Amino acid sequence: MSDDQPDLDTAPDAALEGLDDTPHTGEAVEADGTFVEPQADDFAHAEQAPSDPEWFKRAVFYEVLVRAFADSDGDGTGDLRGLADKLDYLEWLGVDCLWLPPFYASPLRDGGYDISDFRAVLPEFGTVDDFVHLLEQAHSRGIRVITDLVLNHTSDAHPWFQASRQDPDGPYGDFYVWSDDDSAYSDARIIFVDTESSNWTYDPVRGQFFWHRFFSHQPDLNFENPAVREAMLDVLRFWLDLGIDGFRLDAVPYLFEEEGTNCENLPRTHEYLREVRATIDREFPGRVLLAEANQWPADVVEYFGDPAVGGDECHMAFHFPLMPRIFMAVRRESRFPISEILAQTPPIPDGTQWGIFLRNHDELTLEMVTDDERDYMYREYAKDPRMKANIGIRRRLAPLLENDRNQLELFTAMLLSLPGSPVLYYGDEIGMGDNIWLGDRDAVRTPMQWSPDRNAGFSRSDPGRVYLPPIMDATYGYEAINVEAQQGSAASLLNWTRQMIAVRKEHPAFAEGEFIDLGGSNPSILAYERRMVGPDGELDVVLCVNNLSRFPQPVELNLAEHEGRTPVELTGRVRFPRVGELPYLLTLPGHGFYWFELTETEDDGERRSMA
Amino acid sequence: MTSDITPGSHRADPTGPQDDLVAQIAAALPTWLPTQRWFGGKDREITAVRPLAATELPMGPSAGHDVLLLHLVVEVEQGDRREPYQLLIGHRDDQVPDVPATASIPLADGPAVYEASGDADLTCHLLDLLAEGASVDALAFTTEPGAELETGLRGHPISTEQSNTSIVFGGQYILKLFRRLTPGTNKDLVLHRALREVGSDHIADPLGSISGELDGEPVTFGMLQRFMPDAADGWVMATTSVRDFMADPSGLPPGELGGDFSGEAYRLGKAVADVHADLAEALGTREAGRDELAETVDAMLERLERVVGEVPELAEHTDPLVAAFRAVADVPAPVTAQSVHGDLHLGQVLRTLQGWLLLDFEGEPAASVVERASLRSPLRDVAGMLRSFDYAAQQLLVGQPDDDAQAARAAAWAEHNRAAFCDGYAKASGRDPRDQDVLLRAFELDKAVYEVAYEHANRPDWLLVPLASIRRLTTEGS
Repeated sequence: MSDDQPDLDTAPDAALEGLDDTPHTGEAVEADGTFVEPQADDFAHAEQAPSDPEWFKRAVFYEVLVRAFADSDGDGTGDLRGLADKLDYLEWLGVDCLWLPPFYASPLRDGGYDISDFRAVLPEFGTVDDFVHLLEQAHSRGIRVITDLVLNHTSDAHPWFQASRQDPDGPYGDFYVWSDDDSAYSDARIIFVDTESSNWTYDPVRGQFFWHRFFSHQPDLNFENPAVREAMLDVLRFWLDLGIDGFRLDAVPYLFEEEGTNCENLPRTHEYLREVRATIDREFPGRVLLAEANQWPADVVEYFGDPAVGGDECHMAFHFPLMPRIFMAVRRESRFPISEILAQTPPIPDGTQWGIFLRNHDELTLEMVTDDERDYMYREYAKDPRMKANIGIRRRLAPLLENDRNQLELFTAMLLSLPGSPVLYYGDEIGMGDNIWLGDRDAVRTPMQWSPDRNAGFSRSDPGRVYLPPIMDATYGYEAINVEAQQGSAASLLNWTRQMIAVRKEHPAFAEGEFIDLGGSNPSILAYERRMVGPDGELDVVLCVNNLSRFPQPVELNLAEHEGRTPVELTGRVRFPRVGELPYLLTLPGHGFYWFELTETEDDGERRSMA
Repeated sequence: MTSDITPGSHRADPTGPQDDLVAQIAAALPTWLPTQRWFGGKDREITAVRPLAATELPMGPSAGHDVLLLHLVVEVEQGDRREPYQLLIGHRDDQVPDVPATASIPLADGPAVYEASGDADLTCHLLDLLAEGASVDALAFTTEPGAELETGLRGHPISTEQSNTSIVFGGQYILKLFRRLTPGTNKDLVLHRALREVGSDHIADPLGSISGELDGEPVTFGMLQRFMPDAADGWVMATTSVRDFMADPSGLPPGELGGDFSGEAYRLGKAVADVHADLAEALGTREAGRDELAETVDAMLERLERVVGEVPELAEHTDPLVAAFRAVADVPAPVTAQSVHGDLHLGQVLRTLQGWLLLDFEGEPAASVVERASLRSPLRDVAGMLRSFDYAAQQLLVGQPDDDAQAARAAAWAEHNRAAFCDGYAKASGRDPRDQDVLLRAFELDKAVYEVAYEHANRPDWLLVPLASIRRLTTEGS
């Protein structure tokens, strides 16, 4: 602590825990009250991955919780060095980019999304230097790393907020949205209806109300203030200078407020995103912005920006409504839930891509389904009330699908072939289970299961110290389900997933091709083409046929356009009968699927039999 | 109309007069027609086939001179019954067409000809003629106002149809060729046009038609509509749900299981109600008084009497059926009548990405033209759909040993989805069809009696389906 902070209890950085030995915001203060913040040049910088401006359009993403993946120092909690030690595995699997939920300094009252210092790493995860080490190791394997960044708000423990409440006239006095009463912006909905009764909370220190769209311990930053806008750009620059490959921008629709609106998706929010994007393009080309906007696709496309210039806001956005509909379609044995939402999805600018996922660290998100569908999803997938949380279902993929290998493969095949860059959730590649008896959303955040050894090979610590107990039940426990065993078994889900990722990468149409729903008279079959003209001028056509029913099904596909081409199955390279003018008949086993490429026939000796 | 046989004017070098060819074809048809699925007169011997009109259709410069496409209308005589039918005749001098053997019409002494609706090389010209708005002799190919057609698409007949033949062009258009012709503009086309006028969301847009004259009256030969390649028909959708439900070991009710269809049934109910409202807006309504109700009762009783005579299994239900039909005479008059679909069932509806569509507004194939054209209660359509849910539920029981538990589950599925359909209909129309229970039940039972006769004659295994429904409908609430 420096000498010009007389009262330790009210020092702006007093709420920061465990950062005594590392550079952090608020440990030193300029004469005018401005904090001396850590600068990127205080640290080493990582070498960049090979240049490829549109890498994100083809990448296979892997969401990994630092806490849950690997513990390098034996304290029972996963850390950045532990994650770096497992990069060989991720490279082997075929992962192109890691998505790390926040690893910043935080009081952890909202899973790390309550950031108390944007320029420091949560001490239990390591240091900024450890992060640079992770980047360096990842980039040397061609793996990129993005992380969450919350622009909208900070933790109330952030020195900015502490300074703002204590000194309304100081440099941070206008960093948050303060008001003398709680009447403004009354048209904005309350997002966390279970815990919050208002978007305003009274602060006795400053004697005013502060605005928060999320929890009352997460005050919203005041983006009207140019100093805030610049300070957040500097946060981005800090990590980009170190070598990070991009950000998933959390809660982007809420940056600005405006009376008489619902304070979501306002034009000024988009204007700021364009400013952020321009900064990236100018100073850090090839790095990406991924919007987290849990909205209908027609609204989300706004976050890609102007299509005339290929998009000038975020490079990527999650397609939220697709995921619950994949589950619904299979339970209904009907393609319509999927076909409908994709038909309602507008085209996106050239330089952009969707992110799609089956599961992530949050519950199965149900905001984007109708009430009717939500009741249905609850009934179908959450037979135990404990599995419901807020408005979602907190299960992992394998238990959601009752550990049915055929369905696991079908779902994964759809994830890898529907339009968008797939995001895998750590552990789902081996079919990990969940622990619904853990509180909050921890059910799906248990330690990665590496081996049948103590603590699932995740940590050398005393089992009692592990941050959450590894799954130990008979079906999903780490003795049965772990990376080591599955790497050694050719027929394992892990090896199957790896093979499918590899197949996906052989055909750029999977990633960037146009999506064409083939429809057809059998509603249980979802068949679609992905097609693109490659840089060599060759047409790459991939045909995906999915049986959403548990029963075997026939389907007649209208492939007349491809008459004369030969479907070649992509995992075994088996040639199927040539496409003729009449409907193409296929039969699929229950929950079966095919991936074909449609090739011009190469065998000159092959002749159509004459009638 | 006379036997006016003139070659198409576009043909530069006719191979010779077609009269002789047409006469030979007519001579071959009495043995060939009964082999065709769409031929509606299989119950009687054909005593004569007379050509009414033959029109050689032009095929543009690309087609060779050795190819012939002939539009032929013939009158089929079966004793005292005379009905006109439409045929497309193809001939090629030196090529074997890619059509099934059953399409071939063997002539005693003439060239190889065949029914050409399956020959994509020939039918593509029908679409071209429609797009041009061509007139060929008495045949008029016209597009609907505002419709622009893409040409050069190849056509393939769809295989599931019974009484007509439909050709799908390039996955974009569907041309329905009416086989048995009825004088007057076809009801299917009239209702489609009316619904398009009022902007109905629940039809496949009509795009064009082929028309002409028959016995001095206008006649519709074909109707072109937008084809929905993304669609699945309601029967397949519903039976997918039934399959899921019947295979489930948990014993949970249908609303609790993954394959629940009630959401679709509800939306289907809304779609049917919307179409009824649109038809009423476009074509008006009429109040049917007590006299007409009495006529309706008489017609239902007549049908019952006839069918009981043919199907002994129905006899035990006679008394409650008679009572249910007679009760119609006492419902509060007047009852609103309007244009309706007339033959609504799950096979006549399509689930598309935009929602449910209704198809085939021709009306019941067995009904007379007058019956088909008359205004009827929209409850007829509701009853038809309710019957269809029963069929969908019970189709897995057909041909299986009796199993009361499975029968009860089938009934539970039907009840669940029938209720959802009515809920949807009530939601969209503001009138719950179940409130008119006497009329609705009578229409359902009347339909079931018709089904008894049909199944008895055609599919004896299925007889249990309408009989079980009659048993249920006549005992419930008593």
